[in-house]
Amino acid sequence: MKRALYIALNEVRLYLRDKGDLSFSLLLPIVTFALIYAAFGGPMTFEGTAYVVDEDKGYYASVFLEKLDGIEGLDVELLTPAEADTKLERSDVLLVTYIPEGFSRALTSGDRTQLSFRQRGNTAQWDQVVASMVRGVAEDINQEFQVRGQVSASLLGQGVSQEHIDVAVQEFLEQEREDPVVSVREETLGGSPDFVNQYLPGIVTMYVLFAITLSARVIVEERRKGTLERLLTTRLSVGQLFLGKFFASISRGFVQTLILLVLSYIVFQIFTPLSFIECLVITLIFAAAAGALGLVIASIARGEEGATWIAVVFSVITFMLGGTFFEIAKDSAFYTISRLSINTYANDAFNTIIAKGGSLADVGPELGILAGVMVVGLLVSRLFFRVMPGGK
Amino acid sequence: MAEAFLVAEDLHKSFNDFKAVNGVSFTIGKGEIFGLLGPNGAGKTTTIRMLSTVLEPDSGEITIGGYSIRQDAEAIRGLIGVCPQDLALYEDLSALENMVFFGRMAGLNGRDARTQAMSHLKLMGLEDRARGKVAKYSGGMKRRINLAIALMGSPQLVFLDEPTVGIDPQSRNNIFETIRGLRDKGMTILYTTHYMEEADRLCDRIAIMDGGKVIRMDTPYQLKGEIGSPDKVTLEDVFLKLTGRSLRD
Repeated sequence: MKRALYIALNEVRLYLRDKGDLSFSLLLPIVTFALIYAAFGGPMTFEGTAYVVDEDKGYYASVFLEKLDGIEGLDVELLTPAEADTKLERSDVLLVTYIPEGFSRALTSGDRTQLSFRQRGNTAQWDQVVASMVRGVAEDINQEFQVRGQVSASLLGQGVSQEHIDVAVQEFLEQEREDPVVSVREETLGGSPDFVNQYLPGIVTMYVLFAITLSARVIVEERRKGTLERLLTTRLSVGQLFLGKFFASISRGFVQTLILLVLSYIVFQIFTPLSFIECLVITLIFAAAAGALGLVIASIARGEEGATWIAVVFSVITFMLGGTFFEIAKDSAFYTISRLSINTYANDAFNTIIAKGGSLADVGPELGILAGVMVVGLLVSRLFFRVMPGGK
Repeated sequence: MAEAFLVAEDLHKSFNDFKAVNGVSFTIGKGEIFGLLGPNGAGKTTTIRMLSTVLEPDSGEITIGGYSIRQDAEAIRGLIGVCPQDLALYEDLSALENMVFFGRMAGLNGRDARTQAMSHLKLMGLEDRARGKVAKYSGGMKRRINLAIALMGSPQLVFLDEPTVGIDPQSRNNIFETIRGLRDKGMTILYTTHYMEEADRLCDRIAIMDGGKVIRMDTPYQLKGEIGSPDKVTLEDVFLKLTGRSLRD
């Protein structure tokens, strides 16, 4: 055990000596964190653009556009029908609102009319928000006409001029807008933890997955340098060598993740002390599973380049299958396949702690599977490992 | 010959269909410098790898210091030091760090590893550069460190696989003196080289290998005497006569 620890310490020392490697691996999580902060760290306000084709150009079309433009965070960009077609075709925009010809005339004459949407595919979440805003403005206009119609009908034959009714209704509606019966009070607490909660597990698992490539390379590199053969003529056993390399790869994967988690803890305040420690435990077990898989690759790869490629391809597949940045529908075939990726279990565990406020007791099965992968990985790698063909 | 310290009996090792070592047997006495010579691909390095427990023989028996390699490989590793043909160093570490690290692997505690490392560095004339990064050393200095590492843990038997390749005469001379000094202290040495004149100067006995077999084994003087007057014939003449003049690479 002592020699295994010494191997691990030597590995860490070599890592610290390689200034390029060191600064890259330590700066990377900090840069990633800075990007997360830039994206999600500020107060969260919606900012979007409503693309509108005004085929009416009448009074009520301009009222509609004015109301739309008045919504905070929403810009209105007018397009010609041809421009709208081109932009939709190229997916430059995903949703266009059309004000049909005769829109104002229909409203003036008390007829019904319709706005229409043309959209590309299912549109993005952002465009759905814009669509809801457009529907809200249409609903507003609709209500104004209904109130005006109801009031006009009630006062019919009582000698009140239509002009007077219009002014009174308008004043009433404006007063309602300024002092509504039901209003919404907004309170922003810190940044925007929802997004951090959603993406942080994926980013953490991505960093831990680097451990696969790192541990896949360490033994192959050692073989290339000739130090592997030399080490195994000393009292060091193959088991101790493996354990040492395993500890080293865990520590490297863990340090990067630790930086990311500590920064998230301080800046976004998404952890309690307990949930932070629980996340560290998950990271440690996941890094151990990833490190063990890296050792399997190191045992079967012939050269450094081969080991790196196998590890990178394996990591990418694991990453994709793990649903790191997108949710996998539970009933899909992809969901079943995703169970083959260790990322799935790590993501589930992190999500349970970070986003759902669960505890380690809730992620027992996930941690059990990751620990199992670690044990099997270590056994398989030892089984296949040879100092050289025909060697021990 | 002094009491046998290493006994190799009928060693065989194949890689797929290629017989790298085919029935090699020899004995090395305690305190002896034993030369293992042969052209490229003769099976010298494979033999050393089997003797140093890295490769398992397909058949045959190796006994070192009374321990069988099949039953007590770990005990054997406690008796040996290996200086491989290619430099096996951590270039990002200093000479001292390399030596202390391998010393710890050889079973020394931190203090003893440091003491031994400094003593060996002094022996190699490198004590002033002990804390310098190995990557910045000259080829000769790296070779001397490569040898010094093999001495960590005070092994009783050292395998020196071409320790003087590609270095200047000064470094080579330093290595010769070191090897002689080790022999004088009773260390057993297995030495391989392509420099026949080196083997002639250093070795008590020599085994010449070719095609995975030992084709002749004797003292340098006796080997030279087999083809002429030992004072006029060189070991290279003997070597070429026994292994032929055809290129092997």
